[in-house]
Amino acid sequence: MTLPDVTFADFHPILPALILMLGGAVLLFAEVFLTPSAHHGPAHVSRAHQPIIALVFTAAAALVSGWLMFQPARAVFLGFAVLDPFSAFLSLTVCVGLGLSVLIAAGFLRHRKAERGEFYALMLFGAAGMSLLGVSNELVVLFINIEVLSVSTYALAAYLRRGPRPAEAAFKYFILGAFSSAVLLYGISLLYGATGTTQLSAMAPQMSAALAKTQGLVYLGLGLLLGGLAFKVAAVPFHMWTPDVYEGAPTPVTALMSAGVKAAAFAALVRVFLALGHNLDSHLLATLFAFLALATMVIGNLLAIPQRNVKRMLAYSSIAHAGYVLLGVASLFVSGGAPTGGVLGATPLATGGLTAALRQDAVRGILFYLLAYTVSAVGAFGVVSALERREEEDRGTAWDLDRFAGLVHRRPWWAVAMTAFMLSLGGIPPLVGFMGKLLIFKSAVDAGLVWLAVVGILASAAGAYYYLRVVVYMFMRPAPETGVLPERHGWTEAALLLSTAAVVVLGIAPGLISSWLSQAGKLFGQ
Amino acid sequence: MSVPDVLFYIFAVCLVGAAGMVVASRNPINAAMSLVAAFFFLAGIYVLLWAHTIAVLQVLVYAGAVMVLFLFVIMLLSLSERGPRSPITVGRILGGAAALGLGVVICIVVLKLDGSAATLTGAQAMRFGTIARMGELIYGTYLFPFEAVSLLLLAAIVGAVVVAKSRI
Repeated sequence: MTLPDVTFADFHPILPALILMLGGAVLLFAEVFLTPSAHHGPAHVSRAHQPIIALVFTAAAALVSGWLMFQPARAVFLGFAVLDPFSAFLSLTVCVGLGLSVLIAAGFLRHRKAERGEFYALMLFGAAGMSLLGVSNELVVLFINIEVLSVSTYALAAYLRRGPRPAEAAFKYFILGAFSSAVLLYGISLLYGATGTTQLSAMAPQMSAALAKTQGLVYLGLGLLLGGLAFKVAAVPFHMWTPDVYEGAPTPVTALMSAGVKAAAFAALVRVFLALGHNLDSHLLATLFAFLALATMVIGNLLAIPQRNVKRMLAYSSIAHAGYVLLGVASLFVSGGAPTGGVLGATPLATGGLTAALRQDAVRGILFYLLAYTVSAVGAFGVVSALERREEEDRGTAWDLDRFAGLVHRRPWWAVAMTAFMLSLGGIPPLVGFMGKLLIFKSAVDAGLVWLAVVGILASAAGAYYYLRVVVYMFMRPAPETGVLPERHGWTEAALLLSTAAVVVLGIAPGLISSWLSQAGKLFGQ
Repeated sequence: MSVPDVLFYIFAVCLVGAAGMVVASRNPINAAMSLVAAFFFLAGIYVLLWAHTIAVLQVLVYAGAVMVLFLFVIMLLSLSERGPRSPITVGRILGGAAALGLGVVICIVVLKLDGSAATLTGAQAMRFGTIARMGELIYGTYLFPFEAVSLLLLAAIVGAVVVAKSRI
């Protein structure tokens, strides 16, 4: 029996995940040893050390990810994981989303006297799974890490079970998530049957032979794999769970779901289909992703328009944003060999397929969009969580648009922050959401998906309606006479300040992270 | 038709039948017992695939431990003999149609495969599904996924504690 030759350099790509796991373990021990038992101390003991521990480890993981961005790309652990700037940038995005969600959770849980170390520990474990998902270069590892992040978010969604809604949301998420995992695993098993391997690097050269021999198996396997991942990113028609789950889960968990889970699942999607798509009919893949993007953008935005419940509106808007990212994914697969003037008029500017440079631009656009969406959406969920009141959750009115009426008179800085997030999500310059959309639409146009880009721009114009409606309510509607002034939470306000700063600064000066972003387009083996 | 082929068809037909009973049965105890039967038939198919260790684990862990827990939970909840009759809605019809469609597609794909799949012979087969071989793979080639599973188990244990704790 031969043991694999593992050196310390093999551990580099998983260092951020290891740091997050260590942080989770420290939090679990701190819950036991640092928190005085309720029998001895006062009824409500201070648990301020918990978010601080979580934040310290998140920051450490983010710093390591930043360092990894400049390491040479290589495969480690016998090819099961890879180190590349793409995955390092994803880890960084996950850490940003995690840190902001932890800040929101600190204020949210304190308000409900529900602080427990396990909450932050599960957040950190989930984020470790997301970071590992980014480095996975083998389908079994990919599946395990999807399960890690799913199991953590299932438990977090069931953390507060006050009233019927959270319980229903947690249960729905668990059942449908388990179903989608099974679909994903079935797809993986069929691909293994067709190619005889589960490693992406080994599978790619096998694809031509497998296609010649067992074409149906390959396409069915890839289709089921795509279905499983589309569930995680909440793409239409796999989006049904999103509004209920996002509404019912505790708001900081919703923030983490919308930012981290989505980003990690998109990273897996890009890595798998870029690796395996070479030998497929790329017109098929481009058309498939283009239709997914089209349906997701249009339906997500249309369903968001009638929502008066802001948390639910943000859930539908998260579907719509998945559509914009899918537009970027579709532009990765357009090739010059496709018949021009097809269904979507695919006529790439670069003949003979998308050049490597354009493809890197598209990957960069996807990554920047995921970062932009993370800071904007987590910030928006932060305002929602600061405004919601425990008493109203059972009645389901905690997130009604009326709660935002006249916010500028009551908490002016919250209103300003929410305006920044709404405008950024709506893609209005000069905020970061605009830069993200610009990069995505630019790569779509470069790839020849002009019509789809036009649809995307129209869809985001429709989206501006429901984002601006929140702004109108905050600034132009009178505050309710009887309304109680929302409580202030220092932690949540720190999250709002940080995300507002990120939304504005990255929007005005995206050059600040350009050295990272120019690296991040590089995937291992591409 | 050789003996393994005959055994396969027996196991496969019984497996599908038992799985159908799990879904169709309105009595939760009957559904759980059908699930036990399905696990046993699945273990039989694993044996035919030379995956002896997996077959034993299937019986021990799933048909044994997991099913006992299932039955305990059903008895503790003291569900009624007959579950509620679920109404037929548009969503259910669509879901059923989608599942049926996927099933048909999978059947077509599988029927189109040529049956000349590689078979194990002699010494190779003797080693294939043994604990020794599995151990070599888990602690050797598949070390990284094996360690990733430990993170999954940790997250699942902490998550189970969080979900099972008294209401906060």
